[in-house]
Order: sequence, then C-alpha cells, then structure tokens
Amino acid sequence: MNANVKLYWILTVFFLLLSGLYTVWSLLDASHQRVEWVGTIALLLSGLLFLLIGFYLSKVHAAQGGELAEDRLDANIEDGDAEQGHYSPWSWWPIVLAGAASLVFLGVAIGAWIAFIGGGILVVSLVGWTYEYYRGYFAR
Amino acid sequence: MTTAALNRSLGAQSVQRPNTVAVGTIVWLGSEVMFFAGLFAIYFTLKSTSPELWAEQTAKLNVPFATLITIILVLSSVTCQFGVFAAERMQVRRTGKLFDMRKWGMTEWFFLTYSMGAVFVTGQVFEYATLVSEHVSLSSDSYGSAFYITTGFHGLHVAGGLIAFLLVLGRGFAVKNFGHKEATSAIVVSYYWHFVDVVWIGLFLIIYVLK
Repeated sequence: MNANVKLYWILTVFFLLLSGLYTVWSLLDASHQRVEWVGTIALLLSGLLFLLIGFYLSKVHAAQGGELAEDRLDANIEDGDAEQGHYSPWSWWPIVLAGAASLVFLGVAIGAWIAFIGGGILVVSLVGWTYEYYRGYFAR
Repeated sequence: MTTAALNRSLGAQSVQRPNTVAVGTIVWLGSEVMFFAGLFAIYFTLKSTSPELWAEQTAKLNVPFATLITIILVLSSVTCQFGVFAAERMQVRRTGKLFDMRKWGMTEWFFLTYSMGAVFVTGQVFEYATLVSEHVSLSSDSYGSAFYITTGFHGLHVAGGLIAFLLVLGRGFAVKNFGHKEATSAIVVSYYWHFVDVVWIGLFLIIYVLK
C-alpha cells in the first residue's frame, strides 16, 4: 500500500505542476494569449483526484498497523485469509437495476411513458438490492 | 519426493485490512471529481467567450439567499459527521430525550442532515423559479445553460445523497444487530455527502462570489 500511496503523491505533484505550466504556456503563446480553461481545469482537478485518493490511502495505510500480506515478499497464501468483507454469493438485483436504468434512458429517447415505468422498477430494485441481506432467510 | 517449505510469516495476522467499500467509494468519488471538472470547464469556457453576457446575467443572482442555503448545506455536513460518530460507536438510536442532542444516535443525526439537505434543494428550486421569471432559463443563453447545468447536476447529486440517507436510515431500522457493515454504509454515505458539499463550496465561490 505504501508504494501505491507514493505513486499517487507523484501523480498529484505532476498534474498540479502541469496545470500551472499549461496555463502559463497558453498565456505566453502568441496565437492564444489567454487562459485555456478546459485544459487548465482538467489538469488541476486530475491533480485533486490523485490527491484525494492518495490522502485517503495514506490514512488507510497508517491505520492498518503493518503491511498487508499481498505487500510482503515473505507472505504465504494463508496469511491473507482474514475476513475480506461481505460478498454476495449471487444476486438478481443488479440485473433488475440495470434493466430499470435501461428503461429510463429508453424512455428519454423514444417516449417519456416508458421512463415512468423504468423509474418505478428502479426504486424497487434499489430498495431490493440494499435490503437483500436484511430480510427473509438472510436477515441480519 | 518434493517438499514445500511453508515459512509462516510473522505479524501478518494482526494487520487491519482496509475496508474495500470505503476505498471503493473514494475511488468512485475521484471519478466524480472528473465529472465536475467537465462542468467547471464548460462554465469557465463560456464565461471567457461572452463576458458581457455574464456581467448582465450574474446581476440577477440573489447572493444573500444563495449564501443562506450554502450555510445550511455546510452545516448539514457537520450534523452528518456527528451521525457517523454515533454509527462508529454502534449507536443507532438516541438514549435520552428527543431534544438532548448529546445522546442522539445515527438515526436522529441523519434525519436532521436529511432535513437540511432537503431545505437546500427546496431553496435551489425557489431560486430557479425566480431566475426563470427573470428570463434566465436553460435555453435562454449560454449563461443560463452554464448556470443550470452546473448547479443542476450538483442538485441532482444532493437529491441522490438524500435517497442514500433514507436507505441507510432504513438499514438502521431493519437490522437486528447494528454492526460494522451498517456503520460502513453510514460512513461511505457521509464521504459522498462531504464530497458534494465541497463541490458546492467550489461552485458557490465561482458562480456567486467570482461571478
């Protein structure tokens, strides 16, 4: 994780520098002579993107109290057998949600009435997916 | 005969694994940064191509009102964070009286946050209605397009956050034992909420202060 964090810091500095360089260049360029906003903002916020993830990963790395098994050269497979998080073995809800989103966009393209049907299914699938492991046999 | 030496590496067991949901949310918020980068680029490009139009149309903005709803949205981030603190100590509901905020749980703080976010969106709708009556609309000119696309997409994000708060609140009510999984969903929704809040501070400075 430490290597990842360092890569993100390098990319942050790189994009922030590039944003400044790009702005100065567009000001100095004889055929332009003013700030070219699209590039300046895209580069500046690319820098912020890497800053955000780099900062968060540095906090995560500091909190984990050691290196993960996958970051150690002397680790064995079973060293990484601790709990990884909750993973659904199978679920139909993502497919329902994707279908509902398709209906919404289809409705925007060919007739608003389809979007309303899609919106209804969208709500059902969102609630269904969020509460899949909170009801019935799987209730926590 | 083949043998494989299994040298048990010391210390690997005690490592706290990163929460994949939280890290994934931050990476997704990184992509949201770039989404809003596109919107900021639209705004600044149109502004630089028609400065007279900007001078004329920004005069119609109600800055004190926008400041008021901005303060409400920023304070909602504070109340959201108190809800996260409650979720982190696994406290879903209040232990004291209704107005004893020191003993509030996640549910009370998130309901307050939801109300403040809803006030912000309502304020935005009121602001849009006023501006449309003053002939600033999505299709009126490039200022209208830039204004409504940037603030509108932000408003949709706030509305999406409100739905996410409802789903997290529902989990608090549905679950028998509030645990790390439920606390994680509360925490990642707070990440999203703080992100949307920061984006609004940027939009507010650019649209209402810088003009």
